[in-house]
Amino acid sequence: MNEKKKISYMEKKMSRQYFLMVLPGFIIFTIGLIVPLVLAVRYSFTSWDGMSAEKPFVAFQNYVDLIKDPEFRNAWWFTLRFTIWNTIIQNVVALLFAVALDSGIKAQKVYRTVLFVPCLISALVVGFVWLKMFSNVLPALNDVLGTNINFLLFGEKRTVLRGLLIANNWQWIGYWMLIYLAGLQSVPGDLHEAAKVDGAGPVSRFINVTLPMLAPAITICVVGITTGSLKVYDLLVSSTKGGPGRASTSVIYQTYTTAINGRQYGYGCAMSVTLVLVLLMVAMVQVKGLKKKEVQV
Amino acid sequence: MSIGKKKKEKEFVPSQPYTKGTLAVQIIMTLAAVLFIAPLFIILNYSFKGKRELYLSSPLALPESLNFDNYAAAFKKLDLGTTFVNTLFYTVTSVLILALLCGMTAWAIARCSRKFFKFAYIYFIVGILIPYQALFLPIYMIGFRLNLTNTRHGIIFMYVATGVSFGVFLMNSFMSTVPLELEEAARIDGCSVFRTYFSVVLPLLKPAMATLVIMQSFQIWNDYLLASLYVSKKQLKTLTVAIQSLFSAQSSDYTTAMAAIVISVLPIAILFLSLQKYFIKGMTVGAVKG
Repeated sequence: MNEKKKISYMEKKMSRQYFLMVLPGFIIFTIGLIVPLVLAVRYSFTSWDGMSAEKPFVAFQNYVDLIKDPEFRNAWWFTLRFTIWNTIIQNVVALLFAVALDSGIKAQKVYRTVLFVPCLISALVVGFVWLKMFSNVLPALNDVLGTNINFLLFGEKRTVLRGLLIANNWQWIGYWMLIYLAGLQSVPGDLHEAAKVDGAGPVSRFINVTLPMLAPAITICVVGITTGSLKVYDLLVSSTKGGPGRASTSVIYQTYTTAINGRQYGYGCAMSVTLVLVLLMVAMVQVKGLKKKEVQV
Repeated sequence: MSIGKKKKEKEFVPSQPYTKGTLAVQIIMTLAAVLFIAPLFIILNYSFKGKRELYLSSPLALPESLNFDNYAAAFKKLDLGTTFVNTLFYTVTSVLILALLCGMTAWAIARCSRKFFKFAYIYFIVGILIPYQALFLPIYMIGFRLNLTNTRHGIIFMYVATGVSFGVFLMNSFMSTVPLELEEAARIDGCSVFRTYFSVVLPLLKPAMATLVIMQSFQIWNDYLLASLYVSKKQLKTLTVAIQSLFSAQSSDYTTAMAAIVISVLPIAILFLSLQKYFIKGMTVGAVKG
């Protein structure tokens, strides 16, 4: 009896100590991210300007206005196109590059480093570099080659998305490639040998052996690229500033102009809340959908 | 590429035979690599060009001579003595606090099976799904209310708060590499939970810590949005914020900006090249089966 009491006392003491170890991180995380999340929801029901003492409660009025707001819809339209194209291009090219690097070419590590380096640069700088690439550097190529390609992609509404996709993909393809490469290198060689003996060609081996083994990497890359693209902001600040017109205004950029420059803090919070909801939904759907495929394998 | 040729002999021998197909792939990848490195070359090239060359010679031409005037100008215009030190200080302090907190938290979560700890893990993971950028408005507001804006500890606090969830996730995935027997032995010897962690577990987590440190430093070093919201005082500014004002002020004379870019990228590039192994480990957590 006494022994038992002693053990449960020990356990209690230990779990209290464990608790104390989790506590600081828990509190900091709560103040820094969860409280803001709650605040965003709360303020989204007000027409607060961010400064004055009173925060008039307007219930769902902000959300009703959002649906009708052409600028907000435009921001989502841009953000969604940016996200979908990024997800497709980055995944496909990163995977192709990874397969190419894993195919036994020489100096694999050099290629890996070269393709990876752009992601070490901050998105802000990447935006500026491509602004100069499109406006000053690439047009000079026309003189050299004697061609007449329009490189001023940031100058026109029609092409601005293309330009930003080039900049963003230049920055991130190497990053995702590295994840795919690690996934590829973890595929046991005997699996391929076995498939070869069974008479499977390289394409069939890739689809039936490699791809299923890559499932966790695919999950990570798809979720990472989607969330990364939905939150695009830094890249725009130094390149297009949301323009020309509003052609490249992302949801966060629009939130910033609305809440900080336009002093509609409550309305801006409602925008943030929609973005958070979309982020959570996308992550859930993707993780669930992709996890299912992993299990089937 | 010429850098590749010298290193070739040192590379491991590929298991596949080097066929014509491999050669084709090699050529395609070389072209891709050249395209990827071209903008970097352009940055470096511009950073050595004089103002006169900017207008007179082709953007693709090499600089007439290697002059470091742009670097000197960038040093002054970015107020590098302040901004570089600030960025370094914020990054290093935040990352050290993160390393301390995340290791502890992840270990406690992994070892204690009570309900609270299971909940805490999911709670932290929510932070990975919601990037702080989506909540920048209330994050700014809360900083303003708690008098955290325009202070050093304020921005460090926020970098820690926004980095904790990834850190806990990362460290948690490394916990299976810590043998339980050692911890049990320490406990039998009468070590408290804290002592067990700091004297037995922590030394074993070194590679994981290296991964955490490099992943987070690169995030914090390159951060723009949070720094631009939290810091407006001149003496607290970070490198990215200073670079952005340089970009908007010097849109036509961008040779200085290019030198500034080189300066800002260099530290993180060196960190990456020297700790590449750990970086890749951190990126691929969860991406590799088994």
